[in-house]
Formats: sequence, structure tokens, C-alpha cells
Amino acid sequence: MNVLDVLDVVHRYPTTRTARPVLDGVTVRVPENSVLAIVGESGCGKTTLGRLIAGIDRPAVGGTVHFEDQDIWSLPRNEFRGYRRAVQVVQQDPYASLNPGLTVADALRPGLVRHHIVPRRTVGDELLRLLRLVGLDATPAFLHRFPHQLSGGQRQRLAIARALSLRPRLIVADEAVSMLDVSMRVSILDLMLSLRAEAQQLAYVFISHDFGVVRYFARGGRVAVMFYGVIVEEGSTDDVITHPKHPYTYLLLQSIPVPDPVRARRRSADGMIEQAAAAPADEGCVFANRCPFVSPECRRSRPPLTDLGSGHLSGCFFPERVPDSGGEI
Amino acid sequence: MSEHILRVENLSVNFGAVRAVDDVSLTVDSGDVYAVVGESGCGKSTLAYSILGLVPPPGQVSEGRVLLRGQDLADMPAVALNRLRAADVAMVFQAAMNSFNPVLTIGRQVQHILDAHPDHSVDGRAHFTELLELVRLPAEQVWNSYESQLSGGMKQRVAIAVSLLLQPSILVLDEPTTALDVLNQRLIIEILKDLRRSLDVTIIFVTHDLGLVAELASRVAVMYAGRLVEVGSVEEIFAAGRRHPYVEALVGAIPSVYDSEGSARAIPGQVPNLAALPGGCRFAPRCGSAQSICAEVDPPLLADAAGHALACHVVNSGLPVREEVSS
Repeated sequence: MNVLDVLDVVHRYPTTRTARPVLDGVTVRVPENSVLAIVGESGCGKTTLGRLIAGIDRPAVGGTVHFEDQDIWSLPRNEFRGYRRAVQVVQQDPYASLNPGLTVADALRPGLVRHHIVPRRTVGDELLRLLRLVGLDATPAFLHRFPHQLSGGQRQRLAIARALSLRPRLIVADEAVSMLDVSMRVSILDLMLSLRAEAQQLAYVFISHDFGVVRYFARGGRVAVMFYGVIVEEGSTDDVITHPKHPYTYLLLQSIPVPDPVRARRRSADGMIEQAAAAPADEGCVFANRCPFVSPECRRSRPPLTDLGSGHLSGCFFPERVPDSGGEI
Repeated sequence: MSEHILRVENLSVNFGAVRAVDDVSLTVDSGDVYAVVGESGCGKSTLAYSILGLVPPPGQVSEGRVLLRGQDLADMPAVALNRLRAADVAMVFQAAMNSFNPVLTIGRQVQHILDAHPDHSVDGRAHFTELLELVRLPAEQVWNSYESQLSGGMKQRVAIAVSLLLQPSILVLDEPTTALDVLNQRLIIEILKDLRRSLDVTIIFVTHDLGLVAELASRVAVMYAGRLVEVGSVEEIFAAGRRHPYVEALVGAIPSVYDSEGSARAIPGQVPNLAALPGGCRFAPRCGSAQSICAEVDPPLLADAAGHALACHVVNSGLPVREEVSS
């Protein structure tokens, strides 16, 4: 069963005047206990998709968001509250997502109390259990610390503890490690992965622009690549990275700065980068203005997201034109 | 032989009792693309600021000196130092994309810079147009734009163009790709490579992103907790086996898109608090190859004949006799 389904969602913000919606017919499914990574550039709508999944925004134009097969926006009030508890968010910036005036205990306690997660008299024990779970110092003294007394990594662990405290079924992690130091990133990713064993039923929607981090976190999971409100490719993490079937995915993979000067010199995405600033196309394929393989057909109609076999979906008329070497050069 | 355009000699910068930069020496040659690498709090930004004589108070240079073409910055009068900034050494600050005035067009702000430097001979507007083309932006449109009309990546590129306005010989960039997505990172990399080719400018950049270093740098200095731990050519820094354990661990901590096994490993422990440093080697508490000597004796930075320098008891003991790096 899927824990979450986003079905054909079209969304626009009331304040934007652009013709194109922020999300334009997006469908993603998150099976129980799985990882779905959403990859795309700044402004492609991946954070908006995360907000819709978490129920922070409601699809403004069309489509539905289903939690355990129920449309979240037609749930009765008490069930909506249950959904809100079950879907939690870890934000990008742990310096902004924690209230600087609240101690560690104050950040964690209200959710526990409000949602009756544990009996009131055991809240104190639960706070320490949560700290231990996320690898923080599980002492009463630590509970009285303020965010400014914590390092970036510790803050992100606290943000994860706060999400986890409500026993969620799904966590939306929006660029959850991109602000952290390189040496810390993997430990936070490892922590989030290890929590799945603890929680038994925990799925992730992992939003990132960094394919390296995505390959690490979503190994064994799936990746959806998004370009200006449209999912252009979706498949298993290894398939998408080693055999990309959309030119945009290929471009993203080619653009990654690799920590290896020999490899870096051997390849250059400069030819494709020339068009990298081109605006999304209003007619036909949304990627047409940037695509090195564009044909007249691409300007006429939008290619549907089509299964090329074994669950690898591409929204390109000519997936065979995409070089296979995207993942290993 | 290339000229030493910049020398940093035994530089220490203190913020009260905390020593953010501790006895750092490095030499930048004309034409280098010099990377200073490290994690947050390692002192790399403070080092970059000190190159412009811009250490923010209460920080101050407590020891050592910075020589620009042989001239000590500390000996320069404030007026000369002000002229030097922007016209000779320009800086693109961290998050420079947030440093524009939101109520003035980009053009007005550029005009202000030109007005403040009347002795500068080039035709400012025409030159800025060329620079915008170099950073691959539409000149006319940008000139008349407000910063809110530009994307983060575009603003970063405008900031680079602005920094080059007075034709500096050294360009210092603090975290030039942080907070940008992968496509904008790639664009910045290609643009900086272009700059190296088309302008006579020496580039010094500070970053935590080893991908950026590998793509762009010719020489690299790695900092850890205020100290230099390794200095070398980009090939030496990234050649496995003969490098500082911190660099080894840092490269191993980056999840690679080419790795299907998930073999990246975090570095255990935390960056030490500069106010309470461990004795001996500062990396020793997190180091997989630490010996008993590492906790007791501070390892000196030893260089081979080619100028590849390491501060590690363990790695240096396995290498031929090396010479201590000093001014």
C-alpha cells in the first residue's frame, strides 16, 4: 500500500503572475517504508511539492493528495489532525527551523502533549529517549540548552527528533543536509536511515539538488526528477543515475562538481550549460528551450511520462538520444 | 619564473583569546587559482579577510604579516589600503548575492562604484557590459534590473562582474557556490575558468566544497581548526595514499554519484572548539591513524622539494626527509 499519493496536482501561488503553474500535473506515489527522492534545480517546485505533501498548502488548481488512500482535504477535522501527526517535515536550515527562544525541551514537548503521544507523567522520559535516539546527549542539562548553544549538526538532529517525536509514517526532508558541513552530512543521512529500523514503518520524501547525496540516501529507493513543475523522469535510483532517460537528468548529472581533478578535466558539460539559463517552454515539452536533442515534435505537444519498462519512466519523446554515460564517465 | 603576488607569513588572527587563524604561511603566485579548503569555523574566511586587511573587529592580526607584492599591508596607510581594495584586490563576499541594495537598480549601484573611483581610466559602463557578457548575462537587462528581479545564481554572477569592475589583479571569493544548485555551481565554475583565460587575474577562493576545488584550483591549502594541515597542487591533494588523514577522511565523507554501494563515511566526532583545543595534533581525536605521539606533540608542517606540505606525524614519518615550512 502507498502511504502517500499525489495525483495529477496542478498548483499555482495566488501572487505569481507567470503563465506556468508551479506544479503542472504532478503525480508521485510513496509506498510504505520507502524512499522517494525528488531532484531538481532551484525554483523547479520541489519544495512546493513537499509543502503539498505535508498539507501546508492545498492544491490551488486541481488534483488531490491522498494519505493512506484518503483525500487529505476531505478528511474530517480529527482525522486531518492524525494525518498532520503522521507526516512530518525536516527543513533545510536548522538555524531557521528552531525557535531561538525555546530550549531543547520546549521544542520537543508541545507536540508530545498536544497529540497525546505518551502519558503526561512520562513526557520527561520520552524527551530523553528521543535525544538518545538521534545521537544527542540524553541528559537533563542538554534539555535546557538553547539552539545557539548547539552546533549545526546538533540542531539538525534536534529537528529530526522533533519530527520523530510524533511517530510519523512519512518524513519530508527538504534539503535536510545541504547546509551542514561535509563531514557531518553522511552521519545525518545515516541517522535518518537508521530510524527506519526503529520506527518500522517510516517512509521518506527526500528533496535535494545533489545527486551524490540522493544516491547515498535513496539507494534501493526511487528518484523523481523535476523540471519547472513537471516530473520528467522517474525510476529506481541506480537506473536513473546510470542510465538517464531524459536530457535534463543527463545535464544535472554532468554538472556535478566531482572531487577528483582527473575526472573533472576529462569531462565538461559546458556545451549544455550554455542553454542552462533558458526559461521553460510554455508550449510542448517544458525542457525544449534547453534541450540539445530538441525536434520540431517537442514544440508541438508535451511528451507524456511513459514507462520504458521495469518502472523507469521518461517524459521525453526521444529517450534513446540521451547518452548512457550520465552516471559513470 | 612567476612572481609571488601574495605571501602570508606566519599569520595569526585572534578574536580575544580564541585564535581563529594560527601560524599560517602560504605563497600565491601570479596566475594561480588558489583554494583554501575547510569546514565551518576552521578560520578560512578569516584568512581571506586578512588578505584585504579586513579582519572584522574584535578580531586582529596578532602575529605575522600579509605581503602584497612584497609590501606589508600593516605598513600601508588607511587611504592606500582603501585604494588597494577593489582596484587591486577585490572580494566577492559570502552570500554576495544578498549584498545588493534592493531599492536601486544594479546600474545605479555600479555607477556609485565608478563615481567613488574617479581616477580609474576605463569607460566604466562599457567595461561592465563586457564583464556581464563574460559572466553570461544580458547586459542591458541587468543594468536596469533591481536585485529582486534576478535569481540567486544571476545575482552571484553580477557580484563577480562587479568585483572585476576596477580590474583587480587578485580576486578573492568566499564560498562562491554555497547556496547555489548544481547547474548554477557548474556555471560559476565555467565562468571562473573563463576569467582565468581571458583576464589577467589571480583567483583565491575559500570553500568547503571539494568538488569545486577539484574542478577549479591549481593549488590547494587545507585548514583544520585554524591551522594548515596540507598544502599542495590539486593533483597532490587528491592523490590517495599520500595525504593528510583529515583530507583523506573529508574526501571519503562525500557521497559520490558514482558510488552505488553507499560507501561514504562520516568523520567521527566534531570539529574542536577553538577555545578548548586538544593537545598535540588538533585532528588526533577524530583520526583513524593516530598514534600516541599525536596527542602530545603538535605536528610541524613539512614540505617536500615540490612544495607539497603535510602536518602529520604518521604520514610524514613514512616519507623521505622533509623540510619545515617557514617564512
